Amino acid sequence: MSALVEHRHRSGRTGFRLVNALLLLLIIIIAVIAAFPLLWMLLSSLKTPAESMQTPPVWFPATPTPNAYGQVAGVIDASRSFWNSAVIATTTTAGILVTSLMAGYAFAKYRFVGRNTLFAVLISTMFLPPIVTLIPLYRMVTAMELNASLIGIILPNLANAFGIFLMRQFIAGIPDDLIDAARVDGASELRIVFSIVAPSVVPAIAALALFAFVYHWNTYLWPLTILQGNTENYPIVLSLSRLLSYNRGALNTGLVMAGATMAVLPPLILFVFLQRFFVDSIVSAGVKG
Amino acid sequence: MSDVSKRSTLIMISPAVVLIGTFIFVPMTLTIWLSFHQWSTQTSFSDARFIGLRNYEDLFSSLSAGRDFRIAFVNTAIYTALSIAVILPLSVMLGLLVHQTRIAGGQALRTVLFSTYMVPMIAVALVWSKLYSPSEGPINQMLSWVGIGPQPWLSSPNSALVSIVILNVWQQIGYFTVLAIAGLTQIPTSLYEAAKIDGANPLQEFFGVTLPLLRRTLLFSTVVAIINAVQVFEPVALITQGGPANATNVLTYHIRRVGIERGQGGLGSSMAVMLMLSLIVVIVLIFALARDKGEAR
Repeated sequence: MSALVEHRHRSGRTGFRLVNALLLLLIIIIAVIAAFPLLWMLLSSLKTPAESMQTPPVWFPATPTPNAYGQVAGVIDASRSFWNSAVIATTTTAGILVTSLMAGYAFAKYRFVGRNTLFAVLISTMFLPPIVTLIPLYRMVTAMELNASLIGIILPNLANAFGIFLMRQFIAGIPDDLIDAARVDGASELRIVFSIVAPSVVPAIAALALFAFVYHWNTYLWPLTILQGNTENYPIVLSLSRLLSYNRGALNTGLVMAGATMAVLPPLILFVFLQRFFVDSIVSAGVKG
Repeated sequence: MSDVSKRSTLIMISPAVVLIGTFIFVPMTLTIWLSFHQWSTQTSFSDARFIGLRNYEDLFSSLSAGRDFRIAFVNTAIYTALSIAVILPLSVMLGLLVHQTRIAGGQALRTVLFSTYMVPMIAVALVWSKLYSPSEGPINQMLSWVGIGPQPWLSSPNSALVSIVILNVWQQIGYFTVLAIAGLTQIPTSLYEAAKIDGANPLQEFFGVTLPLLRRTLLFSTVVAIINAVQVFEPVALITQGGPANATNVLTYHIRRVGIERGQGGLGSSMAVMLMLSLIVVIVLIFALARDKGEAR
């Protein structure tokens, strides 16, 4: 009897181990498939033009050469493009943080006529694809003579529904007593937002900041439309498309891949260090929403 | 919750309300208004000439403007449906894989999957155009190892749209997997224990417990996936220019080409209105269906 139990126990454990090994194998295979395009991008950026043109393709460059990265600077003003991207992403993010904190605070902690209706109306814009407003927006910003400028890219994006939504969710969790105590001490409402409320929702602020930064680093449609070919103000994602058209064909594959690798790095690095905040905010938006 | 002065309320909400009002609601209203006008995008709004429903008539006519719009509309619908058909089941499967706690590696997989969501779509498009390259690309090379002949991918009207769906799924799946994981963590473990006592096998457990309780998550994922899918632009603008033979001409690309590049602002606006109306109808339908199912349960 005990031998039987022992046997069943053992075979159960081997079965368990086999399933675990298969699961691990599956996880590894999926991870490799998911990472493959980015690895291919990196490898291709280190190939010589001859290697890029070979059929069937060469996977690993014989002697990895960073020449392509140097050539990028000869075709586009890479440092200027990076600077433009940084200015656009940082300024937009700062604006979104301020407007979202203030509005999120009002929607979470104030009582006023039409509050829920106004909130619903603002939130509905989360579901509006940008193309629906693109044509008149292009005309409006052009009429303001902000086309072809960085301000023209930044200004329409300084507030967004997702930010207000996220901030309201988190600020609602702050005890009213904390805010009332600050009021008794004579703090102004603006002071309360930035020195009492903001420090209490740092994880949400971090998440929103990262989201906004990555989104506005990556966004393509609006800058393309409003810059009207003014390459001086191109963010890096737009300059990448210039790399592609610079010299069509396999010759420039290394060049394009080097540029793409450079453009991908800032958002990826941010993500690697701060992925916890990204994930938490998606979860709270998805579950509570 | 407190009654503060009207002034404080105004100060707090006006930056966001003014910005969203000016840069979303004003242009949205203008889009609707322009759709009833003949208007060149390079002229001021006051130059728009009222033409009633003519733009809409054009969209449904046999003119090339109507044909191209309808092709773009159908392509967008196919693209959206295919994306959702792949993303929803795949995100739940990957979510279950990451969520299982039997072995380490789940969290690492989540990191790898989600990292692709950080990559600018333009870089995704560039890299995949090389992966898809019929002769110099690694995908056809790998297919040849298992005895499958070279595929034309982006260069054939039959496979170009599907090829873009694949790269879209690759970029976005991490986001939807994280949503699925969030939904899975909300399911009380007691329900699984109860199912086990009732003698449910893993398959019955999945369809009896997991899937019904993921309904809200899947509803949210579906809506987000639709909104994301109609925004596809970069791979089309950069790699295929809507071709070959209009096979990848999608609405965001087509509306921008008509309304901005060709300057036909009125016609482009009527297309944008059609897109907006279709989205409202689809999303209302999805919510209505979900509610019906919820009540039937």
